[in-house]
Amino acid sequence: MGVGSKKSTWAWGYGMIAPTIIGLIILNIIPSFQTVYYSFFKTGAFGKGSEFVGLENYSRLINDSQVWQATWNTIRYTLLVIPPAIIISLILAVLVNNIKGKSIYRTIYFLPMVAAPAAVTMVWRWLYNNQFGLINQILGYVGIGPINWIENPSVAIYSVAIIGIWSTIGYNMVLLLAGLQEIPQDYYEAADIDGASMFSKTVNITLPLLSPQLFFVSVTGIIQGIQVFDVIFMLINPSMPSYPTTVSLVYLFYNNTFKYSDRGYGSAIVALILVIILILTFIQVKLQNKWVHYMGE
Amino acid sequence: MEKKRLRTILRRMVIVATLLVTALQGGALNSVSAQEVVLTYGIWDSRQEPGLREIADDFEAENPGIKIELQVTGWGEYWTMLEAAATGGSLPDIFWMHSNEIYKYGSNDMLLNLDEYIERDSIDLTKFPQGLVDIYNVNESQYAIPKDFDTIGLWYNKTMFDEAGLDYPDETWTWETLREAAEILTDEEKGQYGISAQLSNQEGYYNFVYQNGGTILTDERTSGYDLPETIEALEYYFSFVHDGLSPESYTDTDSRAFLENGIAAMATFGSWQLPAFLDNEYLVENFDVAPLPSKDGNSTTIYNGLGNAIDANTENPEEAWLFLSYLSSEPVQRKASELGIAISAYEGTAEAWIDSNTEFNLKVYVDMVESGQIRPYTNETTVWEEKAYELLNAAYRGEQSVEEGAKATAEMMNQFISQE
Repeated sequence: MGVGSKKSTWAWGYGMIAPTIIGLIILNIIPSFQTVYYSFFKTGAFGKGSEFVGLENYSRLINDSQVWQATWNTIRYTLLVIPPAIIISLILAVLVNNIKGKSIYRTIYFLPMVAAPAAVTMVWRWLYNNQFGLINQILGYVGIGPINWIENPSVAIYSVAIIGIWSTIGYNMVLLLAGLQEIPQDYYEAADIDGASMFSKTVNITLPLLSPQLFFVSVTGIIQGIQVFDVIFMLINPSMPSYPTTVSLVYLFYNNTFKYSDRGYGSAIVALILVIILILTFIQVKLQNKWVHYMGE
Repeated sequence: MEKKRLRTILRRMVIVATLLVTALQGGALNSVSAQEVVLTYGIWDSRQEPGLREIADDFEAENPGIKIELQVTGWGEYWTMLEAAATGGSLPDIFWMHSNEIYKYGSNDMLLNLDEYIERDSIDLTKFPQGLVDIYNVNESQYAIPKDFDTIGLWYNKTMFDEAGLDYPDETWTWETLREAAEILTDEEKGQYGISAQLSNQEGYYNFVYQNGGTILTDERTSGYDLPETIEALEYYFSFVHDGLSPESYTDTDSRAFLENGIAAMATFGSWQLPAFLDNEYLVENFDVAPLPSKDGNSTTIYNGLGNAIDANTENPEEAWLFLSYLSSEPVQRKASELGIAISAYEGTAEAWIDSNTEFNLKVYVDMVESGQIRPYTNETTVWEEKAYELLNAAYRGEQSVEEGAKATAEMMNQFISQE
């Protein structure tokens, strides 16, 4: 007993987390530093013959209008997807919270998260098809002309956003539902006694007490939004007119790193993405104090 | 106490047993590979897989002890996969090469230098089209042997032509005839287009550019996009879309879908699309292929061909070379044609491809190689080819003048070429 067991407890502790930490270091942390390192080089084919070019990739980045277009595309995608996704999933969570058969609904709404993004996108691609897609067929019955969901530059952004919202609702909803179930019923009963309306209860009880979960969902949602790739990559290729208005930063990174073999430039793009996410997360964390109420404070 | 000891002993036995089984499995695998060589063959066309599998089986029967494993990766991902494999040292033993990428792989020691093997076994490279052999020759050494060649033809809907009372396209057709036919076949009310003019280089506008005396790549290795002849050809090709004779089409699948559903009556496609055409009943019943129209007697078609290459670091160079020379031999090349896999490159074997399928007039494709122009390529072709699509997009849709789009493309292309 005594000192001996304390040491072995620590040993067990470190031993337990070792696999994850080692994995994180090798697969995430070291590559992150490597990426920033590569961004200062012009890489040769197959990793050979890279030459140090200092800030050249970055100055090219700043002057590349496609990068700024992609940044705007990515931010616009995030804005189009995250707020509606949170609102819809909040409404759904509240509704499902008060129904019998909760777990069935929970499962159904969560299913999209389980499907592979590539498979999901292929199905949506078929749905969106201009000539033969299901959506345009249905619209045709109602008399609305075919909409070119994928190739029309003005429409494509929304098509992509719809898939994004559809995919994340389930995840958000499950988290919010768990948060809702933690709210003690006493508060609602007290509010009923005071004669509060449904609206008033939602705004004054549900939202504040749900705010930690809402905060989590919005932070992770934004980080994922900035990293959007699969959906756009599988739906739109560079020869389509909708490419310039939908290409996201990660898509641009993919093209430069893997298709055009310019890893140095791709790494610089990744560095830009990192900076954007850091800034956005920092802002959100600072704002946390204003609107997030942790229970027990 | 006793129970605990028993459990501990059992637990230890399970662990030892698991380790033994794993070790034995590893050992078993090792003993298999000591007797048998497994070669991986990387390809990107799943439609060619069945035929190649048959050829591989034949090879295995003649060479017991060597097994061929086919690895199919779709065109879009093939080069990404290959590059990752090359960087990581795990390339397939033999794999397809393309003019777009040969320089990168050849000049970076990723491919086995075939010179001594060719000489040792007296392989006669003159039996293959010189243009193709040259593609796979980098810095005076041969790194791949041509496998097949492909050309571009004009597919047309016989039924729609009959309904409109038009004669079928043939070698007398010119740019004017094509245009006239497209106009007659376009019926706005029925939602019918005369042609599907896809924004595609090899299968589309490249052919017209060269027919008009323009070029994509000049002899000085600068872009030919801003030459007046090139711009003129682009204007002609894009005019089909501008004047409502063709829908906008950005992918092969879309273009084929237009044909399959009777929405467009004509389209230019490469010979490698044959299996896709054979797959669709409507196309088999109603379509046939004709030579491309010509301009002032110039009937150039773009042609290209794959090559088979060997991994420079393969563990089994002799066996890999054995398979490669097998694939490049006359009887096997003829068999590949017969199976309808592709138009084999070896002299005289292309005829078998024509006969492999009597549904369509395939002779057209083989004849066209006489007036063939090798698909233009540089050391890093993919970069500027893809960016070209982006830059020509607006002009294709009529939102920008073709001249502006072409000049922007030329500027971009020159910039990338100078960086190679």
